[in-house]
Parts: sequence; C-alpha cells; structure tokens
Amino acid sequence: MLETYLTDFLQNLSETFTSPKKRVFIGYLLSGFALGMAWLYWRKKQSLKESWQRCFAKEIWWSPSSRADYQVLLLNKLTFLFLAPLLLTQMTVASWLFQTLYEVIGHRPIFGSDWPTGSIPLLFTLCYLLLDDFFRYYLHKLLHEVPALWAFHKVHHSARTMTPLTVFRAHPVEGVLFSLRTAIVQAISIAGFVFFFGPQADLVTVWGASIFAFLFNLTGSNLRHSHVNIAYWPKLEKFLISPAMHQIHHSTDPKHFDKNYGVILAVWDRWGGTLVHGHESEGISYGLSRKIRADEHSLKSLYLLPFKESASAVLKSLSQRRPFKRFQQNT
Amino acid sequence: MKLKLIVTSVALASAMNAFAAQDYANFPVTVKDYDGSAKDSVAYTGQAARQVLHTSLKTLSKQGNGEPNAQLKAKMLTYFDGKHSGRDILSPVSKSGFVVTPDQVDKLSGDKNLAGKTYKGTVAGWPGNMKGPEMVRFMIDKASSANKGFDPLTGYDYTQLISKFLMGAVFYNQAVDNYLDEQLDADKKPNNKPYKDGAKYTGKEHVWDEAFGYFGAPANTLSLTAEDVYNIAKQKPEAFNKADANNDGKVSLYNEMTYAHAYYAAGFDKGGKTNYLHTITQAFVDGRQLITDADGEALSNMERLQLKGYAEIIEKNWEKVIAEAVFKYAGSTYKDLGKLHQLIEANNDNIDKEYRTYAKHWGELKGFALALQTGKNNLGETADKLNKLIGFGPILLGGTQVVGIDGNNDFIQSYSMNFEQYQLNMLKVQQLMIDEFGVKARNKDVLSDMSGLADKLSSGVAVEND
Repeated sequence: MLETYLTDFLQNLSETFTSPKKRVFIGYLLSGFALGMAWLYWRKKQSLKESWQRCFAKEIWWSPSSRADYQVLLLNKLTFLFLAPLLLTQMTVASWLFQTLYEVIGHRPIFGSDWPTGSIPLLFTLCYLLLDDFFRYYLHKLLHEVPALWAFHKVHHSARTMTPLTVFRAHPVEGVLFSLRTAIVQAISIAGFVFFFGPQADLVTVWGASIFAFLFNLTGSNLRHSHVNIAYWPKLEKFLISPAMHQIHHSTDPKHFDKNYGVILAVWDRWGGTLVHGHESEGISYGLSRKIRADEHSLKSLYLLPFKESASAVLKSLSQRRPFKRFQQNT
Repeated sequence: MKLKLIVTSVALASAMNAFAAQDYANFPVTVKDYDGSAKDSVAYTGQAARQVLHTSLKTLSKQGNGEPNAQLKAKMLTYFDGKHSGRDILSPVSKSGFVVTPDQVDKLSGDKNLAGKTYKGTVAGWPGNMKGPEMVRFMIDKASSANKGFDPLTGYDYTQLISKFLMGAVFYNQAVDNYLDEQLDADKKPNNKPYKDGAKYTGKEHVWDEAFGYFGAPANTLSLTAEDVYNIAKQKPEAFNKADANNDGKVSLYNEMTYAHAYYAAGFDKGGKTNYLHTITQAFVDGRQLITDADGEALSNMERLQLKGYAEIIEKNWEKVIAEAVFKYAGSTYKDLGKLHQLIEANNDNIDKEYRTYAKHWGELKGFALALQTGKNNLGETADKLNKLIGFGPILLGGTQVVGIDGNNDFIQSYSMNFEQYQLNMLKVQQLMIDEFGVKARNKDVLSDMSGLADKLSSGVAVEND
C-alpha cells in the first residue's frame, strides 16, 4: 500500500518535469531560460554574468519564499494523490452534458462531414483555448474579488521571490477549484464538439500537448514567475499577456492590485478594465504588501490560516450582505 | 557440489510449483468413510450437460424456415424440458483441428434438462407476465416458426433472446442465487456428510463445484490467458493444445471447454481493462481449497464467512460481466440505429442486412438485460429503468414497437418513438451500466470519442496557479 503510494508519488513528480503536457516540462524550462538570458543580454544590455545571476541567483532559488514553494509542491502532490479520485471528472460532466443536449435537441445533427480535412480539429483546439483561457481568467478574478476565496489565493501571492515552480504555490482548496474548472471547461468542449461533429472532433497536438499550450509554454510561459521582466510591444500586449504583465499582477504596489488576471490572452483583462502593460514592471517587488510578516512562508501560515480568514470573510459578508470585495485592497 | 545442485534443484522445483497456477481439479476426496476408488472429488458433469443443452438449443433455434414446424418445436423442447437419453450434442461439435468429446449429452450426465433449473420468477421485461420456463417455451414456439430464428415483423431474434436469457435464468441464477447463496448456509449440504450416499464429494464441495460448472470456464483457466479461453470457445485450432490439458488429443466438453459467461468474461478481459475471468476463477479455486482444507469436517462459522467472501467476489464480478454485455450491445444497437437512419434518410430501400444486424444486436441486448435481472439481488429501480429504456421489442422502421401480447399469444404493436429517440435510450442504458455496476471494459462505448478526447486533454490533477 505504502509502496504503491510512494511509486505513484514519484511517478507523478517525475512526470511534472518530463511530460510536455506539463507547464514545467524540462524542455519548456530550458526554452524559458534561453529566452530570459537572451532578453537580459541583448535587450537589457546586461553582462552574461549579470544575466545568469538574474536567472539563477541563489537568493532567488533558495530564498525562504522559494523553499516554501518546493514544500508546498511536494505536500500538495501527496495530498492530491488521495484527493484526485474523489474529484469530479470531465467525463462525468461531459456524459451528462451529452445526454442533456440529446434530450433538448432530440437528435444528433452531425455537421462538418464535408468540411476541409483538419478544419474541425483546428476549430476544436481554438475553441478549447478560448474557453479554457476565459474560465481561467474568470476564476482568477473571482479568487481576487471574493474575500472568502482571496483568503486561499493569498497563498500564491505571498511569494516574495518567484521561480517557475512558484506556479505550484497554491492552497489545496484552490487545487480543488482548478480541477472543477478544468472538468467543466473540458466537458463543455468535448461534449459540444463530439455531439455536433462526431468522431471528427480532435485536438491538434505537438508532443501530446495542445498546440496552443505548447506554443505558450515554449515561448517563455515559465518566465511569468521569475525576475526576468520580458514585456511585449504594447500593441501585442493588448492581445497576449507578457511575463512582465503577470509579474505586475504579483506587485506589492497597490495600484497594481487586482490587475492582469489573464493567462494567455489579454483581451479578457482589456474588456474588464484590468489590463496594465508590462513596461510598468521595472523596480516592482513581489508579495502581498511591502510589509514583511515573520511567518509568511511557514506551512502553518500557508495551509491553515486561509481557512480561518475565509471563514471570517464568509461571516463578514453574510452580515454585510456583500460577498464581493470589489476595490478592496489586496492585503 | 552435488548436494548443492540437488538442493538448488529441489528449491527451484518447489518454487516453480508454488507459482504454478492451480487448476479447478485434483482436489482430494475428503468424505469420511468413503470407500470408492476416486482420487479427485471435483464433479460438475450435470452443469456441463446443461451447458451443451444450451448450446445445442441455440443451434436448433436457427433451423426454422419461416413456416410453423411442429417437429422442430418438439425437438427444441427435448433440449429444454426433456431428460431422456439419446440427445446428440449439436454444438460444440468437432471441427478440423479442434476435436471435441463426447457427442451425446448423456455421456456427460444423464437425466438432465434446462427447464427444471430455469428462474422461476416472473420476467418483468417481457410482455405477458410470464414465468421463466413459460417464457422460454413461448419463445421456442415462436422460434420454430421463424426464419432462422428471426421474425422481421417484430424484429425479434429468438436465437439470441433464448440463448442470452437462459445464460442468466439457468447458469447465473442457479450459481449466484442458489449454490453460492442459501446452499452455503450451515444446515444446507453440510461438509461433514457426503452430498448423497456413496458420493465422493461432501455437500459443500459439490455445491461449490456446481456453481463453478455453471460459470463455464475450463479447469485450467488460471494457466491460460483471456485470449486463450476466448479462442477455445471459438474452437480455433491454435487454441487446441492449450485446451487439451490432459493431452488425449480431444477437448473434453466436461472440463476443457469454454462456455457462456466465461466466454464473455474472457472477451471483455482480452481488451486489457478488466480481469473478470481470472478473478472469478481464482475465487472459485480459493473457495474450493478452503472447503478441501476442512478435510471432511463441518465448516466453522469463520470458514463459512470466508467462503461467503469468495462467493461475493464471484457474484459481483459475474454481475459485472453481464452488465458489460448489456453495455456492449446497447452500443452496437446505437450504431445500428444510426446506420439504418442514414440509409432511410438517403431513400435506400436495401436495408435488409442492416436491419438483420440490428435485430441480432438488440436480441443480445435484451437477452442480457433480462439475464441481469435473474441474479441474487432484486435490482428494483435499476431493472425498471432498464426495461423501460429498452422496451419489449426493438423500435421498428415506422417507430413502432411490441407493447404487449394478446389472448392468442400474438404481439401487439404501437407507435413508441423514432430511431433517434431510441438511440438516446441506448446511450442511457450504457450510462446506467456505468452508474449502477461500474462497468470498465466498456466495449462499443457510444461516448468513446469523448473519452479519447478527454484523455488527450487530460494532464492529470495538478495544483497549479496561473
């Protein structure tokens, strides 16, 4: 039993770095570092040594904040080995949705049998990108704006230094919400496309990953959580979130609070009025506020405190009948 | 050096022995005061006889020519109701590269029929409130006047309906609702007495053997793969040597053949997602070993509890095998309906072949759905849902379906739903098998396109922020 559990854990951990479906796949990490070095050397005119320091400094990779990231990564992986089988799967939701579509429409109109080869997989992959990215944006927005959820999301924002592994700095309650989001998004895409397009519905992949996720990760997604503030041309940043834009999202400057929720696409933030361009990222510091709390990276503070804060937020919002904390400060 | 070699050889031999799979055979005689010469107490010849009565009846059910045929009906009834000697085994018979023995039912076991062991309850999923044996006789009557077992006016494939229903009503019902249920009670067929005077087996030994015989697996199943066991039922020449465990050049229809449920279990398992065949057979072997280890004494409460544990493994997995079959044929029926619908939309009049395939798959679906309801537990609401979703008959081209039987034993039909609505019902049948029985093999999954896509999108649960 324990042996199986340990094997599963180690396998899961190694897959995190060896599967191109994962954000921190070794190939994406390498491409991210290469881009980061190139940016610092050519664009920022830093020496090779300085560029290397900015990417790999011990002060970043072995800071109390980063060490907490690693602990959270391991602890969450252990927890979710138990929790994962209990979570709602995309197939459960998709089967229900497929049947519901059938019942509402009464038959299955199969479209696209005479469409050009490859057009349906491309359409599916594109729709999935849009739906997934929008739901990520929207849940992220809720995590910031609903006090009871912000209590948990604060764990991620409490990082003072950022490395690509900061992506795993998340409270398990967030993990459950993310898994629910994924189940719903995948179910809508799968059930909708299979219902209307039959077996032609497919995902365009590179090395097993969706082509868009592959491109996003290959072009430096891991630099979002780093100290290399690559900003795009302002016109491009109207459409795509640059690493610097996400770093602004982690800024301790109150004017940057609750900005740049998006993951790949910037359009959602633009339409929601929360877009801030990457050029503002110079000199920012990361964390919840400039004031540093002594125990902000302790596991107790990261895992248990959010429950207490969330419960008091619920009680407070019940008494004030105001579940959203709009325009409230990000502390 | 020599001594070392001997020790090593003995150790190796005993290790190999420990790993050798146990056959369902060669369990010693434990009956106290047994004065016969038998060494092996295993016996399930009566069940093997009923397996071949079933396969032979299935063969006969395909022999009608579309006209009433009293002779054929009478012959079919000899394999269902009759007990008399002289009945040939019509299937399985020897084929080139796959010789089987014997050729007559009596040579396996005399005085056996199917009717006496058929589920006695009312069959809720069939019109006319008939009890099990009555329903089979009704179908035999209809089959004898159908063309090769098929009635195009109702869409009934009697060959499939009779065969699959009997698999449940006789084999599954007798095993899980009788031998592995009440017969395991302390006061029934005790282990400290022979099953009957002079018998080489105790009460409990024989009860357990009888249940195994109804499962239909070869005695050496644990040494074979699911594919081997499946190929034995198909009488494939390449499987002959594996089937012929005693190397006498013939496959014994008693304990070397694959029948009925074991064939379906093997069929699902060879897909690699399930292990029903070996799980069930292993539980049978383990249970038999437990009884043998009691050495002719009455089983203690603890031993009976453990035995009931094995019985439960068998029952649960067996039920799943039937549910997998319902799932599979609901999927086939769904696809057939889609094909028929397309042909009709395209004004294609030549749909005989597709209609026949649809009726065959529907017959298998219905037969297995009825079989599922003959087990140990009353399926209650699940059975009710299943019967409503499938209906009494397949939906015909005009959306009609059999809805009852009149006083002359003729079917009454009326409009029910169109093909597309019925397709949705098939989808719901598959969902019901997932929800209620947790089927895993899921052959002919209507939603397989979805699960394939889900696998591609899935990257496992990861607690990751953006």
